[in-house]
Parts: sequence; C-alpha cells; structure tokens
Amino acid sequence: METAQLNLEPATDIQHDNRYYLNMGPQHPSTHGVLRVLLEMDGEYILDPQPVLGYGHRMHEKMAEHKNWMAFMPNTGRMDYAAALPYNHGFVSLFERLCGIEVPERAEYIRVITSELNRLVSHHLWLGAFLLDLGAFTPILYTFIDREKVLDILEDITGSRLTYCYFRVGGVCKDIDDKFVTRTREFIKYQRERFDVYNKLVTGNIIFLKRVEGVGVISKDMALRYGVTGPVARGSGINYDVRKNEPYSVYPRFDFEIPLGENGDSLDRYMVRLNEMEQSLRIIEQALDQLPAGPFLGKVPKKLKMPVGDSSFAVEAARGELTYYMVSGGGDIPYRLKIRVPSYSNLSILPELGQGILLSDLVTAMGSLDLVIPEIDR
Amino acid sequence: MHPATEKLVSDLKGKNFTLAACDYAERGYHFEIDLAADRLREFAQCLLEQEMYLVFVGGLHVEPAIEVIYQFASYDRPCRVVLRVAVDNNNAIPTISDIYQGANWHERETRDFFGVTFTGHPNPVPLILAEEDVDLKPLLKTDANLKESAALRWVRVEEQPETDEKADKD
Repeated sequence: METAQLNLEPATDIQHDNRYYLNMGPQHPSTHGVLRVLLEMDGEYILDPQPVLGYGHRMHEKMAEHKNWMAFMPNTGRMDYAAALPYNHGFVSLFERLCGIEVPERAEYIRVITSELNRLVSHHLWLGAFLLDLGAFTPILYTFIDREKVLDILEDITGSRLTYCYFRVGGVCKDIDDKFVTRTREFIKYQRERFDVYNKLVTGNIIFLKRVEGVGVISKDMALRYGVTGPVARGSGINYDVRKNEPYSVYPRFDFEIPLGENGDSLDRYMVRLNEMEQSLRIIEQALDQLPAGPFLGKVPKKLKMPVGDSSFAVEAARGELTYYMVSGGGDIPYRLKIRVPSYSNLSILPELGQGILLSDLVTAMGSLDLVIPEIDR
Repeated sequence: MHPATEKLVSDLKGKNFTLAACDYAERGYHFEIDLAADRLREFAQCLLEQEMYLVFVGGLHVEPAIEVIYQFASYDRPCRVVLRVAVDNNNAIPTISDIYQGANWHERETRDFFGVTFTGHPNPVPLILAEEDVDLKPLLKTDANLKESAALRWVRVEEQPETDEKADKD
C-alpha cells in the first residue's frame, strides 16, 4: 500500500492573527438562492466579502443562438423568476421594433398591467424575505397572503404562477376579461389598506429601524462606478427609471412618480420599494380606466426576418435596468444575444459595500439589494 | 439634443473620439464608436468624468478578431453609447475595471465565455465557470457559423437585401 506523502515541515507563512474564512452559502437562507459568499473575517467584522457565482448557470445566451424567438420565449421567464413579465416585455419589444411589427393598443395596456402586477408580487416577495433575513418571521406571512391574491389573478390569465411566458411578438397570448378587471380593481383597494398594516408592523418598528438605518450606504459615486440601477440606485437619490428615462410601451400615458431616497442606506431602499408598490397600483388603476377595446394580438408573419446589425432594448425590471443587446446576421435566430441583468451589477458592489462591516449588517445590506440569483447565473 | 449630451459629443471630439449618431427608434441606442484597444482606457475615463455608467461588457466572436462590446448610458437623460473594440493578436485587451469597478465581473465573465485576456485585471480568475472548465469558452462559434465583423454591421431596413425564402428555411 502506498503511503501518502506528508509535508512535515512547519508552516511558516501562516500569520497568527484573528483572521479566518467563513463560507456563507451556497445553501444559506439569506443568500436567496445558490449564492456563496466567501468572507474573510476578523472576529465579527468582515474584511473582504467575495461572492462566488455560477452554481446555477444555464447559459441562456448560448441557447438564444440556437433558437428562434418563439422557442426562446420560455427562457426569458426563467432568469428573474420573481418578476418574469418585464423580461418577456423587453424580449418581444426588441423583435417587434426590428421586424416593424405593430402591436395593438390593447395588448400594450395588458402588458403594462400584468408587468406592474408582477413588479408588485416581486416586491411582496422581497419585503417578506428581507424582513425574514432580519429575523422578523411574521411579515412574510402577511406579504404572502397578498402575493397569493395577485398570483391567482395572473394565473387565470397567463396560465402560470411564476415563470411566465405570456407575451408574444405582436401582443399577448390570451386576452383579459371582465373578471380579471374586477378582481384587479378589488385587489388595488385591498392592497392600499394593507400598506397601513405593513407600516404599523414594520416601518415604525424601532428594532427594524435600528437594524437598517445607516447600514450598507451606497453613495451616488459608488453607484455610478458599478452601474447600479433600479430601486438600489433610486435609494441613493439617483432619479433613474427606464420607464421615465427612455419610455417604452404605453408608460408615457400614465401619471406616476419615481420614489427616491436620500442617504442610500438599507432603510432608503426599503422605503423606495414600498412606495414603488403604490406607484405600480397607480399605473394599473389608470391603465384599467383607459383600457381600449380591440384585438390583443396583431398580425405577425409566420417567420420573422430580422435586419442585419445590432440593436438594444432596455426595460425597467423589478430590480433595475434590463437590456437585451442583439446582433443579428439576418434570419430569425440571433447571432448573439447579450442579456444585461440588473442584479449582476447590483451584487458586484458587495465587495466594496461589505468591507469593514459586521456580518449581521452584511445580511441586511444583501437583503436590501433584492437579489435574484438565477438572474445573475443566467 | 440634451445639453449634457452635446457637451459629451464635443468633449469627446476634442480628444479625437468621434461618436457616430444612430437612429434610436431603430437601434435602441444613440451613439456608436469603434476604437483601437490602446485608446479604450482613455475613452472610458472620459465617459466616467461625464457621469456615464457602464451598462454591460460583452463579447462577440467574429472574423478577423473577437470584439468586446461596451455599452454606457446616463442616469439623467436618454443617452446610450455602444463601443466596440477588437482584441489584439494575443486575444488581449486592456482592463477598465480600475476606472469602472463594475467592469470587473463583466470582464471576468467575458474571459470565461470567449477566452479574452483583460490585461491588468486585478483578479483574473473564472467567475461563472469552474476552474477546470477554463478551456470551454462556450460562446465561441464553430468555423461554419463564424461570420465576418463587416457582415454584422447595421444595414438600414429599406436597404436590406431580399433574402431567399428557400435558403432561409433551415
């Protein structure tokens, strides 16, 4: 039997201080998915947090190079599983613009209504999970009651509860009916009352405030250097929302505000998202009031012919700016599809954000970034 | 044009970077520019000073050399810039991750998928792929699928050649 060669020389390169490494994840409740953060620690303080990615990478960009738009549609719902409809939206809009396909007005309204409902459920999920990270178990039970109500509404129309594949080039695959409109209106009324519950339960809670105030501060300069977008950037006072900045679909027709924070701490990001939920309700309300009659799916040729060249389409997903950048060589299959996802840039800030803070504060900061890992591992 | 965008265009022109205007309604971005690798860092520095943020960095496998594509945008006005830089003979390109820290991960990802070396990168280790898959380079095209860079440049829709239906079928 061979004996293993052991190195019996005394190690001389080990520094005897309090430094040690700690693995957070890949299966950790507060990383929300298969994310591992390798932490270099000194006692309870973090010296260097390095996220380790790729555990669930599926290479959607490669798949896009082998499929036409219809076959790739289900993939778009499987990146940001918490808010898939904006991903549907960006993808079909890119093709519509390239191939010059007219979308019926009613379809655009349905897209906006369902996308905003999806943003709402995404924020429900975040709110519950974020507070769970902070050790508050009750709020997630409340937000999930509300989330289920929206999911039921969306399920009736789209056929699924999570990984939606509802939009089509030229419109949507199923029309909304009176039942949908009535249920959505009822929900808006119900949700507005629920904000009081959230505020009583969480926002004014002194334990919550002590955990989030001044924790994980992202300055404007830092956000710029990392390309942070979405509620995270808005929490730092950056007035940037693709829906306003580069309006698409029928968003310019609605009156809504972009909530902003001041300090860029976790509390600001919490407030921004909470206020955004109300703004989504406002958009849905106006869209339901103005909802035009007509077809929900326009005329689309069986085989799309894309022009040669590159083009880009940005939409506001629940976590920030989502950009599809496509290079086409003609035909109906992209030569290259680059998908820029918001969580990727938002998480890349972590090594700088987490330096020198307490481990428990890192959990707060990460929770307030609202990460969806399959979106990063796309 | 927004005054800040005008300033950006004229400032860049002063430094000998000429942005070509694109039709936003067709392309979804406002300016494009092709640069040699040695001028990339200077360009990125200019854009950071003009408060443009980095949207993404991605690769594109074409003949004669892989192109690295950068997109920048502005937080306060609609202004998107697409930059294309071809890699050198050694598949290398300078890093911009010390200028835009957000480029760090994007560059590591591009290295994983295309095998591009980002010279001067502080942490050139795989981000998405496992260490042992470093030769995989999954987004490289096969020779049969590889196209010329010039054949993928934008052609105005009305000037598009009529494609043959039969040839399109597969």
